Amino acid sequence: MIASLLIALIGGIVDLDSTATWQFMISQPIVAAPLTGLFLGNLYGEAAMGLKLGLMVGVILQLLWIEQLPLGMNVPPDAALASVLSVALGFIAGHSYETYSEREVCYTVALLLSVALGLLGRSLDMFVRRLNTGVDNWVNQKIEDNQFWAISLGHTLGGFFTFTKAFIFCFLIVWFGVEPLKYFTQTISLKHSSGFIVVQGLLPAVGFAVLASMCLKEKTELKYFVAAIMFFTVLPAKIWLGISAALIVMYKTRPRKKK
Amino acid sequence: MNSSPNKRALTKATLIKVAFRSFFLQASWNYRGMMSMGFLYAISPGLDKIYDDINARENAYMRHFEYFNTNPYFASVVMGVVLALEERLSRGEISDEVIHDTKEGLMTACAAIGDGLFWDSWRPFVAVASLIFASGNYMLTPLFFLILYNIPHLYFRFAGIFWGYVEGTHVIRSLKKFQFPQIRQNLRYGTLVLLAYMIPNHVNVHTPFLLTNLPMEFFYFGEKVVQGIGATLLVALGMIGCRARVDVLLISFLLMILALVLYHWGILI
Repeated sequence: MIASLLIALIGGIVDLDSTATWQFMISQPIVAAPLTGLFLGNLYGEAAMGLKLGLMVGVILQLLWIEQLPLGMNVPPDAALASVLSVALGFIAGHSYETYSEREVCYTVALLLSVALGLLGRSLDMFVRRLNTGVDNWVNQKIEDNQFWAISLGHTLGGFFTFTKAFIFCFLIVWFGVEPLKYFTQTISLKHSSGFIVVQGLLPAVGFAVLASMCLKEKTELKYFVAAIMFFTVLPAKIWLGISAALIVMYKTRPRKKK
Repeated sequence: MNSSPNKRALTKATLIKVAFRSFFLQASWNYRGMMSMGFLYAISPGLDKIYDDINARENAYMRHFEYFNTNPYFASVVMGVVLALEERLSRGEISDEVIHDTKEGLMTACAAIGDGLFWDSWRPFVAVASLIFASGNYMLTPLFFLILYNIPHLYFRFAGIFWGYVEGTHVIRSLKKFQFPQIRQNLRYGTLVLLAYMIPNHVNVHTPFLLTNLPMEFFYFGEKVVQGIGATLLVALGMIGCRARVDVLLISFLLMILALVLYHWGILI
């Protein structure tokens, strides 16, 4: 019960950030998921584990919807709610298991489930926006009657709708979703369950593919890209190597000042 | 309000207040006016300062309760320009159609610049940069993401309103000095390099064959090569799917089934 309320609160605040207010990008999965993991882990006394799960989920979800841009009428899938719910479901359901592989199954299934929930979140977002249209008409009438206070009220109401939507959605999903997930995990025998660890290892590839297909625009770039992948395959895996290579390329191709 | 042309009606504090209110620009995003209410809410402190007369104020409010849609980070530039123009209107120098047309043109331009820069280039770049740290299990990755991402965000939001207010309609010329298309291309290259680093190193493809067939001293190298090739193949498959506009959810589920089947046959471990 406390966990569901906590998740609902986090979900509400994070979802406000995603379009309605601030847009500091707390709502990005790479921030939202570890944040949820940290709070939830604190609640269960396993903060480090929650944070680690959050990072894993964040890595996979971050790139999945990165090409869905909030332009004009386009409403992107709700990545914020997806990451919060993925960590919440995975952590709470996995918490009751002792073995590593059973927990991993919970995490992976929750992750895949939350991708679908993100799409559901988009529909809810559209519903809120339709509500806002009604508020907009109401404010229009009020301004014509010289009642300017209606603007602040109507505007705040819009934010309130967004928060309430996310709050209720998260609460219901966590409240009712954990037990079915646990049941599903129990039905998978241990032999198959380690297959889900393989799945988890491969899932980042989808995100990389999305980003690569978004960024690659010319044929020559593709050649260089493949060459770079081969280059990094042979070299030892050091983080600083990748970052310094990126900095060098960016420095070489930096914008030159026009004469 | 009749003041001399050099004296500006709005103080720095008011402009900063408007910039803070612009954080809530999209709270009441709706299908009729998009950010209309948010825009009006944000600039209303400025309008109150400019127009003392209640009728003129009402007219100004009605004028800005119209369709408005732009990039949220660059909205404050538009707000600055609109406030500068409103001030001139209150002195009777221009007509209200000028404001409408300028606002429309500027919001389109700012939407193009801002969306291209922030959604299309800066966010993927920062995301990949922080994903590298996240895969290395650095716990402070979220903080790194937030700080790096928000430096240009807050800069444009707070500096933008002053540019717009001081320079008026000339602001688009000074925005051009940033050379946004080149910056975007540069960021894209950076993203690609980081991605090329991540693909072979952070997709976990392991096969049991290497353990049995390869001598121990080559094992580490062989494992890396297999990982690189396997990851590249998977990403290539995914890219083909993305280009063919297959939904991401479907691609993930297909990948899951593929992985489970390969695991069942003992090819992946």
